[in-house]
Amino acid sequence: MLELRNVCKKFDNKIVLDNMNLEIRNGEIVSMLGPSGSGKSTLLNIILGLIPMDSGQLLFEGQDISRVSMKDRGFNIVFQDYALFPNLNAYGNIAYGLKNQTRGFSKAELEELIDFLELRPHLSKRIDQLSGGQKQRVALARTLATKPKILLLDEPLSALDGVIKETIKTRIKAIAARYNLTTIIVTHDPEEALTMSNRVLIIDQGHISQYGTPAQVIHTPANPFVEQFILKQLEIKRDNIYHLFQKCHA
Amino acid sequence: MRKNSRVTQLLLLGILLFFGSFLIVPLLVLSAGSWQSGWQTGLAQYGAVLSDKNIMLAIRNSLKISAAAALLTTGLAFGLAYTVHCTNIPGKLKKAIHLGIILPMLLPTITYGFAIIYSFGKQGLLTKLFGYELLSIYGFNGLLTGYVIYTLPPAFLLINNAFSYVDKKFIIVSQLMGDSFWRSFVNTVLRPLLGTIGSAFVLAFILCFTDFGIPASLGGTYNVIATELYQVMLGTIPDFQTGSVIALLMLVPAVFAVLFLNHLEKFNFHYEGFRSTALPVNKLRDRVCGILSLALVGVVAAVFAVMFVAPAVKNYPYDMSFTLQFIEKALASRMLLEVYENSLLVALASAAAGTILSYSAAVVNVRTGFSKQTKASLDLLAMIANTVPGMVLGLAYLLSFNGSSLKGTFTLIICCNIIHFFTTPYLMAKNSLAKLNPAWETTGELMGDTWAQTMVRVIIPNSLATIVEMFSYYFINAMVTISAIIFLVTAKTAVVTSKIKELQHFASFNEIFVLSILILMTNVAVKLLSDFWYQKLATR
Ligand SMILES: Nc1ncnc2c1ncn2[C@@H]1O[C@H](COP(=O)(O)OP(=O)(O)OP(=O)(O)O)[C@@H](O)[C@H]1O
Ligand SMILES: [Mg+2]
Repeated sequence: MLELRNVCKKFDNKIVLDNMNLEIRNGEIVSMLGPSGSGKSTLLNIILGLIPMDSGQLLFEGQDISRVSMKDRGFNIVFQDYALFPNLNAYGNIAYGLKNQTRGFSKAELEELIDFLELRPHLSKRIDQLSGGQKQRVALARTLATKPKILLLDEPLSALDGVIKETIKTRIKAIAARYNLTTIIVTHDPEEALTMSNRVLIIDQGHISQYGTPAQVIHTPANPFVEQFILKQLEIKRDNIYHLFQKCHA
Repeated sequence: MRKNSRVTQLLLLGILLFFGSFLIVPLLVLSAGSWQSGWQTGLAQYGAVLSDKNIMLAIRNSLKISAAAALLTTGLAFGLAYTVHCTNIPGKLKKAIHLGIILPMLLPTITYGFAIIYSFGKQGLLTKLFGYELLSIYGFNGLLTGYVIYTLPPAFLLINNAFSYVDKKFIIVSQLMGDSFWRSFVNTVLRPLLGTIGSAFVLAFILCFTDFGIPASLGGTYNVIATELYQVMLGTIPDFQTGSVIALLMLVPAVFAVLFLNHLEKFNFHYEGFRSTALPVNKLRDRVCGILSLALVGVVAAVFAVMFVAPAVKNYPYDMSFTLQFIEKALASRMLLEVYENSLLVALASAAAGTILSYSAAVVNVRTGFSKQTKASLDLLAMIANTVPGMVLGLAYLLSFNGSSLKGTFTLIICCNIIHFFTTPYLMAKNSLAKLNPAWETTGELMGDTWAQTMVRVIIPNSLATIVEMFSYYFINAMVTISAIIFLVTAKTAVVTSKIKELQHFASFNEIFVLSILILMTNVAVKLLSDFWYQKLATR
């Protein structure tokens, strides 16, 4: 279990995270949802250990990891733009961490992962020869191969289009289930958040607006912000689609 | 883009004519100069130069010290850029490092030498501060120090710029993948910058090899090719033929350097657009880099501090009580003010005409329908202009225009500056013009504009920020150059830098420093003004 206790963060005297308290259970997929500038990436970076918090505590499996370095925490992240090494091919990227780790995947496990993500035909391709979805999967594989204790995904779908988006969504869910992997996803799309995760964390200007299951968010929105900014978007989308299909049938 | 209008054709013709008369012909005259009395004596001349012990020693010295300085500079510049880009030290400190290290660019190199003598020399400020001579600066050490201070800014700017295109997320990924600090450093920082680091080395090397100001002020017993060339040409018995041969020998490494630089381009990584990121926490890295970088900036600042101290005390370094009498005396001197005015005139005219020429050349290159070959020939001319060292260009002018009415005029000095500093502003303009929407000319035409009207109404207003930048680049460089104009100035057209060279013989250090301060203040003012204006224009 990952616990955040009274986490605060300021940038140049501007409060970005205000006294955050949060628990994430093992094996759960949690989405962090909020408008631009609400502090999602900051929170993700604090969990990752990339940036220090000003005050508060971070506990993992009951241990205080607030002062543990990024490297030693054993979490890992897939960046929005993947950050694949351009001088290595797809396989070089996927296997990058194996050299260093005793904890990471064995050769056999890696082969299995490659097949699971259907990356076998692309292994010898250069990075710039891969499509967006393929890059995403290579980046996922590279990160998973280090056996992270928590997987962090920063806007994993924002660079992808339509159908690819849906398949990656399914893939992420399958991976989390298969490896019983705690997964934290940052997104600003309510639909993504509500369809992908076990629980959704809605952030507004550095505050937790609501933290609950998708059903709870939809049926018992905690406050006007959730109603106005999160559910409203979904309703408009739903109505548009209904409207569209009714027209076609008529 | 379609057929070319009469205006663009005239523009192209003008540019080609200018380059023909002030770059190509002088270079041909220079190479012919070494063969002027028939090819047999010409060959003999080369033989004589190549077997002349003094000249060969100077060339060997030049190669050796340029390599040493370039190595040192590249290492230091990389360290500084690393501190700016890859540590979490406060942004204000980063800015201070950036500013502090490029400040020497605003001063002529000939000043560096005197500042070094007055800091590290027997009676130097730092020597007094530490109680003993840190290093013996007359000769190799002094030259090396001067060269490093001189080449640090351009090398730093080059690496610093490349650093901003390196995706720092890779540093995080690599650490998350379990890389050690060194593997991470090599793979995510060093490796992507290898090409640039090589370029910085070559650039620094060639700058040292061709600079005249530093050895002129500091060389003493350590002869280098630049001082040798000066001796031969302006010594007691000027020898034009030997001079041409040495000038051509000076050109050879420069040519190789430019070819090599173009080759190194290919080693650079090209990251696709990426978002900025926070950097991993590492207090040790931050402290070490921060302290070392600030120390380096401190040393550079200390060297130049003497420039302000020396003329403002009664009898440096024996009586350090403050006085304004020397500064007042220097500023009251008609002669010094005249050379300062000359410098201003030359810098302003070079900047104005140079900006127009380089901007026009860039317009012809990026925003007209001329053939690929025509455009490539403009690039080639720019490359040649970039290759020819200032002293070589100056000498070529001396040989070419000696009999003409241009001899000894400001016009000639200005033309020399325009060609010598052409390449950077040209590339700035090309870069910025290429980013403008390619459909604007068509749009303008559809609205009833002629090509020239669209230029004036749309293209120029949208690249004003770049034009300001180009102007200030030309101005500052024209203000500080000595190698390009040392062969061209006369008593009537003396500029500040050549005056400093002259004052050296009378050991008038107060005047030298006052003149240097004048240049510095002028350049700082121009830089501040242009930066302010650039910001305003770029962000509107
Ligand atoms: N390094 C930094 N220095 C100063 N301010 C920062 C820094 N990083 C983030 N901020 C500020 O903190 C706030 C939260 O930023 P954050 O990146 O966490 O938002 P976000 O929710 O991820 O937004 P987006 O959806 O646009 O990615 C913003 O106002 C941002 O400007
Ligand atoms: Mg974000």
